[in-house]
Amino acid sequence: MTLRVGIDIGGTFTDLVAVASDGRVLTRKTPSTPRDYGEGIVNGLADLLREAGEPASEVLHATTVGSNTILESRGARTALIATRGFRDTLEIRDLRMPRLYDLHWQKPPALIERRLRLEVDEKTRPDGSIATPLNMTSVAACIERLRAEKVESLAICLLHSYANPAHEQAVAAAVRAALPDLPISISHEILPEIGEYPRTSTTAVNAYVQPVIRSYLTALTARLRALGVTAPLQLMQSNGGLAAAEFAAEQPARIIESGPSAGVVGGAALAARLAEPRVITFDMGGTTAKAGLVEHGEVLKSEAMEVGAGVMAGARLLVGAGYMLKLPAIDLAEVGAGGGSICHLDAAGAPKAGPQSAGADPGPVCYGRGGTEPTITDCNLVLGYLDAAGLVGGAMRLDADAARAAVAEKLAVPLGLSVEQAAHGMLRLAAATMMRAIRAVSVERGRDPRDFALLAFGGNGPLFATAIAAEIGIPRVIVPPMPGLFSAFGLLVADTEHHAARSVRMRLDEADVDALDAVLSVLAAQGMARLERDGFPASRRALRRSAMARYVGQSSDIPVALPDGDARAVIAGLPALFAAEHERTYGFRAPEGEPIMLTAVTVAAIGVPERPRLPAAIPPVPGTPHPSRHAWFPDAGWTEVPVLHRAQLATAPQPGPLIVQEYDATCLVPHNWRAHLDAFGNILVER
Amino acid sequence: MTDPVTAELFRNAVTAIGDEMALTIYRTAYSGVLKNIMDYSTAVCDADGRLVAQGLSLPGHLCSIPVALQAALRHFGDDIAEGDVLTLNDPYDGGMHLPDIFIFKPIFAEGRPIAYAATICHHTDVGGRVPGSNASDSTEIYAEGLRIPPLKLYERGAPNNTLFRMIERNVRLPGRVLGDIRSQLAACAIAERGMADLIARHGADGVVALMNETMDHSERLARHCLSELPDGEATFTDWIDDDQIDEGVPIKLVCTVRKRGDSMQVDWTGSNPQVKGAINNTWSYTAAASFTAVKSVMSVNMPNNDGVFRAVEVIAPKGTIMNALPPAACAARGLTGFRAADCAFGALAMLYPDRVFAASDGGNTGITIGGYDADRKPFIYVDFLSAAWGARPWADGIDCNTTMFANMASFSIEVIEAENPLEVLDYGMVPDTGGAGLYRGGMSLSRTWRMLADEGILQVRADRQAHRPYGLQGGYPGAAGRNILDPGTPREKKLHAKLTMTVRRGEVFRHDLPGGGGWGDPLDRDLALVAKDLRDGLVTVAGAARDYGVVAAGDPPVIDEAATEALRARLRATRPPAPAVAWDVPLPERAA
Repeated sequence: MTLRVGIDIGGTFTDLVAVASDGRVLTRKTPSTPRDYGEGIVNGLADLLREAGEPASEVLHATTVGSNTILESRGARTALIATRGFRDTLEIRDLRMPRLYDLHWQKPPALIERRLRLEVDEKTRPDGSIATPLNMTSVAACIERLRAEKVESLAICLLHSYANPAHEQAVAAAVRAALPDLPISISHEILPEIGEYPRTSTTAVNAYVQPVIRSYLTALTARLRALGVTAPLQLMQSNGGLAAAEFAAEQPARIIESGPSAGVVGGAALAARLAEPRVITFDMGGTTAKAGLVEHGEVLKSEAMEVGAGVMAGARLLVGAGYMLKLPAIDLAEVGAGGGSICHLDAAGAPKAGPQSAGADPGPVCYGRGGTEPTITDCNLVLGYLDAAGLVGGAMRLDADAARAAVAEKLAVPLGLSVEQAAHGMLRLAAATMMRAIRAVSVERGRDPRDFALLAFGGNGPLFATAIAAEIGIPRVIVPPMPGLFSAFGLLVADTEHHAARSVRMRLDEADVDALDAVLSVLAAQGMARLERDGFPASRRALRRSAMARYVGQSSDIPVALPDGDARAVIAGLPALFAAEHERTYGFRAPEGEPIMLTAVTVAAIGVPERPRLPAAIPPVPGTPHPSRHAWFPDAGWTEVPVLHRAQLATAPQPGPLIVQEYDATCLVPHNWRAHLDAFGNILVER
Repeated sequence: MTDPVTAELFRNAVTAIGDEMALTIYRTAYSGVLKNIMDYSTAVCDADGRLVAQGLSLPGHLCSIPVALQAALRHFGDDIAEGDVLTLNDPYDGGMHLPDIFIFKPIFAEGRPIAYAATICHHTDVGGRVPGSNASDSTEIYAEGLRIPPLKLYERGAPNNTLFRMIERNVRLPGRVLGDIRSQLAACAIAERGMADLIARHGADGVVALMNETMDHSERLARHCLSELPDGEATFTDWIDDDQIDEGVPIKLVCTVRKRGDSMQVDWTGSNPQVKGAINNTWSYTAAASFTAVKSVMSVNMPNNDGVFRAVEVIAPKGTIMNALPPAACAARGLTGFRAADCAFGALAMLYPDRVFAASDGGNTGITIGGYDADRKPFIYVDFLSAAWGARPWADGIDCNTTMFANMASFSIEVIEAENPLEVLDYGMVPDTGGAGLYRGGMSLSRTWRMLADEGILQVRADRQAHRPYGLQGGYPGAAGRNILDPGTPREKKLHAKLTMTVRRGEVFRHDLPGGGGWGDPLDRDLALVAKDLRDGLVTVAGAARDYGVVAAGDPPVIDEAATEALRARLRATRPPAPAVAWDVPLPERAA
């Protein structure tokens, strides 16, 4: 008996998807309960378990509790212990700001206030030798301050601890002896890499969210137990791998971007099933759109991210808006374009779609909740792409007349365009914004997006996918089953995954073979031990090794997979792999023999599931036919368009224009495109 | 008339090309100056060299690209073929200062150049008498390095090997310089690819029309924002401490802003004649500083292109420090740019007091320590430190942040120690250094280095040590910056703001950046804000009493409200308020 349940908490809805032992796929969408998210989960889960008629064997969970804790400044009262003279590292950051020419910019306040940033007398050198021994009297003074200020969580980050953790360990031991209940995050355990600001920031984020996440997970586990669920709870990490709840409670920094990752992982599994070598995932909801990249089954990852930075085109160059986390994460490019994006004219009369959003409340004009500014959803309704009879299966009616009036008054008249032209123009502008996210994960990484298929999900993804694909030159769009629940579905297909990294900083031509061998085996042993703790037998543990490397003299790294074998094999094989990756990413390689610097080594330990996690197929649910309706297209004008259920899409391709309307999403197939259903249950839209 | 949606889509697309070029350099550059400090810019220009879109990059380069490209176009006229690449760095023929090498590539459609991909990068070294080619104590451009007039780096796709070899032989780190040139070429290739898509869609004439509309739209936007501001004229004078050659002789900057209707004039008439030291601006650098200040007071985040330049006229008389004539040295003109931006902000603050901040830290301090390590391997450590914004009429100045005119990161302490024979002893904020005010200026940052090699050369380009960052509307000036050798020892010695000296093993150098100026009367500051600064240790108990009239005691300090009210009343009666612009309200020496 295996009933595997994926639970994805979003701002508005909590989505549940389960696959039963007989292959049935069950879903629930329940309102989120922000005051106690566990309540919404349990409501949905109880109902789902009744329908399944079997107990849950695994509970897989993605949550935004971590990022919300930071966004809402609700973290623990946290202190930092730093090397004497360096307590301001957390506030100095790297000095850079995310905006230019903006006198109103406010820097995000440091997660740890200055009074709680404490210092001890000590100094380790870059080679790990000790310049100044740790002064225990200064440690005792810190402990007194921690006690007096009733600190709830502690970060310890001393200079060069990646090279020698002895001082951090000694400080931690002294604090533990004095304050045994105080949670401690230690920098060399979380990020043993050179660079005091990223390491301090990552450790501080971990410490800041840890008590909140720990109590969230404890409460959720108790609620699950009360429901009779004894299966282990696993969390989605930002890197796309699952981890046991106990590990997530220890290193919560790794689950901060839990939610958005699951959809990309689902996309990778689906791409493998469809034998699609290259897929761009496109997840569009009400306020933002996110793009990720899957290549030969591998998800594109980044080495660092900023939490709470908000959404900004070009954010990759303008850093400093959020809190730096230097941990591997699925590389998602996010732009502020969603159904709620407000369409307006700037001071010189040029049309703009977003980035301001009407949000869920008041929402678009057509919701009739007081919204007066036309949004992308209003434009879709005006053009007939959305059904006035309603969203979420008719639970919510839409006011098409109000939407039309707003588009006319605010956009069409001042622009000198017809209402339809104005509405369609806004959709093109929104699509252009979303294209920037797609270009960010492809063109900016040396990939040509025309070589990829576009996998569209989220409430608004399937509506925009063909317009974006046409604009970029992508020939094929895939709309998976349950597009609005796809992130929860992604949880079901994820593997358990643990990443551990270490700074090495050695030139390959002068490498210390023994030292590199030692690093590789320590990281491998660490990963294997974690998998063992997770209950994976030796036969179901796998390792994937990669490195960060650069040409000597360059100042940034690119990730490259490590060749198999010991350090000698790595040193021999890496130059060719690195040069190929450099050429793919940047379009050139340095002359043969140019020295290469290995800066860090990462080992991912992967728990391989017992059986394939993807169900064989997710057949569409038949429903009552929809009436056809009128929709507007730029070359054809108002056109009578068939409106179909997914089940009605014959396996033979049907030509557009047509609309596929489902419970949680609408897929638009324009002229010159055709759609059919594949064996898995995806809609394939092709030119 | 162009369809408004098509025009907006084009604007997005051409701006994205500028950004993708910038990212390409960011990712492929060899030198930290580009990667960490982002001292580079990218752009798309039209056939006349006008700026159509600039990538996300450095404010200091705002006007440099069109000036440089137009200089190159004057040289080559019609002699431009497909596959050509143009380059230059001569400040007296389109350039800025020698380390900034421009590279341009024409983009052809229907047999003619209709646009240019443009890049400017600050290179690690271009030769000359000191490593890094940025000494502030050179007195002629001939000492500053390799001077490249407008030349073709590639001709119809073939490299100009003569020029490449000249560059290779004249710079200290040829691998790094040529690597960075490769990354500039890669960015131009990205632009060509992006523009080809737009040309395929709109045709050559269509792209030309849409580039014009892009610039016209920005001009309308800029004029709209300017017409919202009241008309008026104001002049502001500020001083650079000196040029390191004529020590102690202050250098005058004068900025007059005239705003009428939908246009503005920024006039530098009255500024100092050009100086001996290497801090002379080109017109383009003065203009960049002027635009940075003007853009910052506009209500809309303005695109960076020629349309904005049309609404704002910059006047800088020739032969002054704002528009120097050859052979003036200019390698370290960064300082004058920062201070010109401060001065233009000052003039705007006189016109629009509720929109502009008090003086910031005066721009970053440039520090270079170079020499040979124990194995006789050369090392060059180049770093730029920033600290504090001036207080704003609505909020405190930002602490620990880069100056508005640049957006530079500082190096990691751990990386500095791992790569150089240097130890960093501390790096943090100094209490009581932010100019007091209703809103206080940002705090000074201090850093201390110890030399671990036998000896090396220390170069520092700092300022605002004699002329402090001014406060506004009753706010106090920020603390002066300072340079100290062997602090806290019997050998302690205060050093000059700009210096080039030998440091030996074990010697310790400390640099304090200036603090930001305050805004408004400190006696009116909200007690909750003072309480927070006291708790954070950014204002001491003594400083709170002296500057803010706040009485506090204990650890953490707690404010005695009654005593505070009494003290403030007494100070209001006896202490004259600071003037509208305050450089020198006497403050007792700050706590060490």
